[in-house]
Amino acid sequence: MYGAPGGPTIHDPMTLPVDDNVNKYTFCVELKGSQWFLQKGKMIAYYGSMEFNGIGHGRLDRLVRTSFHSPLHASEWVVAEGSGKMLLADRAFDVNSFDLEDGNLTIRSGNLLAFQPSLALKQSIVPGFLTLIGTGKFVAASNGPVVFMEPPIRVDPQALVGWADCPSPCHHYDHSYLTGVMGGLRAMTGLGGASGEEHQFEFVGAGTVLLQSSETLMAEQASGVLPSGPGVPGGGGAHTGPSQQAGAPRLPGQLGDLQRRFGL
Amino acid sequence: MPFREINSKMVEATVLPGQRLFSQRGAMLAYKGEVSFTPNLQGGQGGIMSMIGRRVANEATPLMSVEGSGTVLFGHGGHHVQVINLTGDTLYVEADRLLAFEGTLQQGTMFMGSQGGVMGMVRGQVTGQGLFTTTLKGHGSVAVMAHGGVFEIPVTPQHAVHVDPQAYVAHHGDVRNKLSTALGWRDMVGRGSGEGFQLELSGNGTVYVQASEEKL
Amino acid sequence: MFRLEGSKTLAVDLTGDAVKAKNGSMVAYEGQMAFKKMTGGGEGLRGMVTRRLTGESMAVMQVTGQGTCYFADRASEINLVSLHGDKLYVEASNLLCTDAGLRTGTTFTGLRGGATGNGLFTTTVEGTGQAAIMSDGTAVVLRVSAQYPLFVDPGAYIAHQGSLQQHFQSGVNFRTLIGEGSGESFQIRFEGEGLVYVQPSERNTIGGNV
Repeated sequence: MYGAPGGPTIHDPMTLPVDDNVNKYTFCVELKGSQWFLQKGKMIAYYGSMEFNGIGHGRLDRLVRTSFHSPLHASEWVVAEGSGKMLLADRAFDVNSFDLEDGNLTIRSGNLLAFQPSLALKQSIVPGFLTLIGTGKFVAASNGPVVFMEPPIRVDPQALVGWADCPSPCHHYDHSYLTGVMGGLRAMTGLGGASGEEHQFEFVGAGTVLLQSSETLMAEQASGVLPSGPGVPGGGGAHTGPSQQAGAPRLPGQLGDLQRRFGL
Repeated sequence: MPFREINSKMVEATVLPGQRLFSQRGAMLAYKGEVSFTPNLQGGQGGIMSMIGRRVANEATPLMSVEGSGTVLFGHGGHHVQVINLTGDTLYVEADRLLAFEGTLQQGTMFMGSQGGVMGMVRGQVTGQGLFTTTLKGHGSVAVMAHGGVFEIPVTPQHAVHVDPQAYVAHHGDVRNKLSTALGWRDMVGRGSGEGFQLELSGNGTVYVQASEEKL
Repeated sequence: MFRLEGSKTLAVDLTGDAVKAKNGSMVAYEGQMAFKKMTGGGEGLRGMVTRRLTGESMAVMQVTGQGTCYFADRASEINLVSLHGDKLYVEASNLLCTDAGLRTGTTFTGLRGGATGNGLFTTTVEGTGQAAIMSDGTAVVLRVSAQYPLFVDPGAYIAHQGSLQQHFQSGVNFRTLIGEGSGESFQIRFEGEGLVYVQPSERNTIGGNV
């Protein structure tokens, strides 16, 4: 029989774990005539018989109505149904499952790999993030293990994976190095450049914040941009550059005013 | 205060009033407390001459100084981070692999070409790594990044170690480096095995090699 | 002879013998080593055509010497496979190093990826000895037996051994054609008895290009 003694563990449908990690980067889900939502293209192998269908069509409508409330993200998700064991993975990212019990968790859309239909998925106020509400299991992918921290904390936007049971973050801008004489000089001439840390998400209150060490994100789609309309914050299409208000701290793109003014 | 490895891709540093840290710009992932991040005009320590040296070398590591009171988490692009603690000796590290280091360390640049003569310069051209390496000396902690993590190879007088220049991350100790070739000129011209140039390290110390040939 | 230094670096102790490794994968060595590029793909006209089609990532070098040589490739995870007279099929770009005692060849597996354009060529490794294969993330080894055929996403497939038949399945329906597919339209079905190695990611392997 095959199998290298002392080699890597060989799995078969009996030994594969049920709804648990196989290794740091691979997760195994067991379906028994049941369904799971998963991101497109993240299934790597399966035993048994399964079907993968895009969301929003035909007989999956009811499921979508109850569990998936994000029309903008619908194109990235599929429903897996059938019987057998399925392996999920994402770009060799660390995958981990979490159980929510009547809770709510907001996670970056690119980091959410799969979830049970008992959870309801909605779009977060913060663009690019999805909120899961209810009771059930979900699988998240992150670049490196997820680190849990408690507020108060300020987080680099690219390092943020999500947050649970805590109020939405607010934006924090740090331009303290632009104050004073040296600061003024820096702002005018652009000398010294920006620190790269001008903007963070600030969390205050109870709850947990999830972080990763990454800047590799799945391409952010225009999803998450709210349709424009009166009273909708942030609505109005793609971002335009920050407008310059008198006295407001200059954002990195604005450094070097003097150069521009003199056409240097 | 030394850096603490939270996991293979993140380190945590405690910042105390009066103590400064330097880190690569944009390397901060999160922080608690009151901490300020200032882009460093000089690109590090060592005064103006050192800065000019770096500019000439085009090795201007965009650094920022971190001060205040609190805890900061550093990491970058999901790369593996390794903490190396120096106790008086010197660490030679590729500028772009440096994530963060304590202000108690003395920073400088070393012209690698001087140790290898003409071949040293050629190494710079061929591998695009530049001729300069950052040196850090003194007592303190350094957080170094690499693609896929590093493994250490001890260098002893009897055992010289040859390293692919693109996989070289850092070394410390009393180590001399020299560029060498393992092939005849015929293999170097056109399509060779890709191992045309190697960095030969001899002496007494340790070399840190990454499991990849990619620049960060 | 072959040992792992961490999970992403292969250390090979050589005592005058040789190994074949992916071109450019040496990261460090101690002792004396010589590196010679070999022409991969096979002999004659077919070999030439194979080389042209598969591009540089199939380029192999021969390493001989005395001492220890360290191999790695883009921080990929390495898995050691021991062969005892049997045959290993591996995606060309996922093969890192083979013992000198193993014979390597290429087989044309035909269109296996359809629209995703997956690899047309697979490398075969035969004989007795050790081989090191690489994966993007720690590989998972899955057993295939008569009662349990396995379905694998083509981009996750790295290698297999044993007596397995591969069938390329297509789940294309009109929805795939109108761009609303499930993303799992193409799968490889493995039947028979053997082992399949999969990686937790989906790199494209178009004729060897990653």
